[in-house]
Amino acid sequence: MDGHAKNRFPTAALAAALAGALVAGLMATAILAIFLLAPTEETMGDVQRILYVHVAAAWCGLASFLVAAAGGALYLVRRDLGWDHWAQAAGELSWLGCGLTLVTGSLWARAAWGVWWTWDPRLTSTFVLWTIASAYLFVRSGVEDPHRRARAGAVLAVLGALDVPLVVVAARWFRGVHPAAPEMDPRMRLVLLVSVVAFSALFATLVAHRRGLLRLQARLDAWEAAADQRQAAQGGATPPRPDPLQRRHHHEKELPWVRS
Amino acid sequence: MLARLWWIVHKDLTCEWRTRRAWPAMLLLGLVVAMVFSLGTDLPADQKRQVLGSLLWLAIFFAGMIAMDRSFAAEREEGCWDGLVLYPVSPAAIYLAKLAANALALAALEAVIIPVFAVLAGVSLAGSPWALVLVAVLGNLGIAALGTLVSALGAGLRHGAATLTVLALPLATPVVIAAAEATRLASEGSLDASWARWVQLLAAFAVIFVTAGAVLFEYVIEE
Repeated sequence: MDGHAKNRFPTAALAAALAGALVAGLMATAILAIFLLAPTEETMGDVQRILYVHVAAAWCGLASFLVAAAGGALYLVRRDLGWDHWAQAAGELSWLGCGLTLVTGSLWARAAWGVWWTWDPRLTSTFVLWTIASAYLFVRSGVEDPHRRARAGAVLAVLGALDVPLVVVAARWFRGVHPAAPEMDPRMRLVLLVSVVAFSALFATLVAHRRGLLRLQARLDAWEAAADQRQAAQGGATPPRPDPLQRRHHHEKELPWVRS
Repeated sequence: MLARLWWIVHKDLTCEWRTRRAWPAMLLLGLVVAMVFSLGTDLPADQKRQVLGSLLWLAIFFAGMIAMDRSFAAEREEGCWDGLVLYPVSPAAIYLAKLAANALALAALEAVIIPVFAVLAGVSLAGSPWALVLVAVLGNLGIAALGTLVSALGAGLRHGAATLTVLALPLATPVVIAAAEATRLASEGSLDASWARWVQLLAAFAVIFVTAGAVLFEYVIEE
């Protein structure tokens, strides 16, 4: 193992802790602002406050997908798996962001329009983006070799990123029921900005943490592969790897309802 | 260079003619969907016209993906893949040649399936044939462009290739929806501003997918 990691560890941990504290502070501020600072909307009442979470999640989902596509493109050019880790982390969080957008939007739609869902252009294109993100994660999980996986993921992410401008433009180009850019009270605009900043910070730290996990996993795999190679070169058998999930193998006798 | 590209198209068409591997399955699936649509939905004529566009383009998409998937899988099995990669033409050019062959396959499918759908749905196509042809050509290009790229990607992955075909549908959704809406409007005879909008979207995505495919193909076919 390189000594650099050991020396950097305290500083990295401190940076992570500070970032976490900052994000927690921002999110707390956002939540307080949403419930205390933002005025109550006259037609919809308190339900309208979903908007602050919905818009922030939508922004984060779209931005994360673009980051995933950029990471994939950078991998294709540089062939450095580090970029692929960023791409996968961002892809997972894009899936989460789009999912949250769909769920919060659905709750708002039920209150505003009386239906949980409608095939409005913006809703449809966001749903399509969510399914593309699902497909991205699904295909990645099926490929063993890291470089093949990175390549397949990069191609899918770049293709999927073509849908992002469609999501943005769809509400304006094709008239649907989704509100485009309504007039807002300045305090509402401020709370929306705070919410978007807080959610962006949250998603950014989550992507960074996930990417760190992927990097550690890749290092562990490389170390294990090197160890196995050394063992094979020396002619010994490779030792059994400990099962991280601690799967227990039940025998029937242990189950109380099975008559032995 | 065009002569070299023509040879790739010629190879694909000749192989298909001699082995009849993909096109019959493709045409059969299209006809079966048309039959199920007609039998399964007992709707009055104007309501059938509403659904005609979407079902037609879904049938074209799935049948087309079967053909494209099979052709790439067959190439890999026969060992032709390596020959294709080593061919002295840029990967983008290989992609365009493959795209041309697949577009021809889709055109054959459309030539069979659109009249069948029209007959079964009781819709007259004589009203605005050129509009329908335009939509068919653009939709063909869009689906073929995406299908060629995704099928090549699926052939390159040892596992999960079949799922990749289905997962291409979300990517193709802008093309399928735009083509479906444009077909519906054309079959109703209302070639107005909204029809033009859908055709613009369709054309934009066809161009975007062909460009993206040409750029990404070299990363897809490398080992």
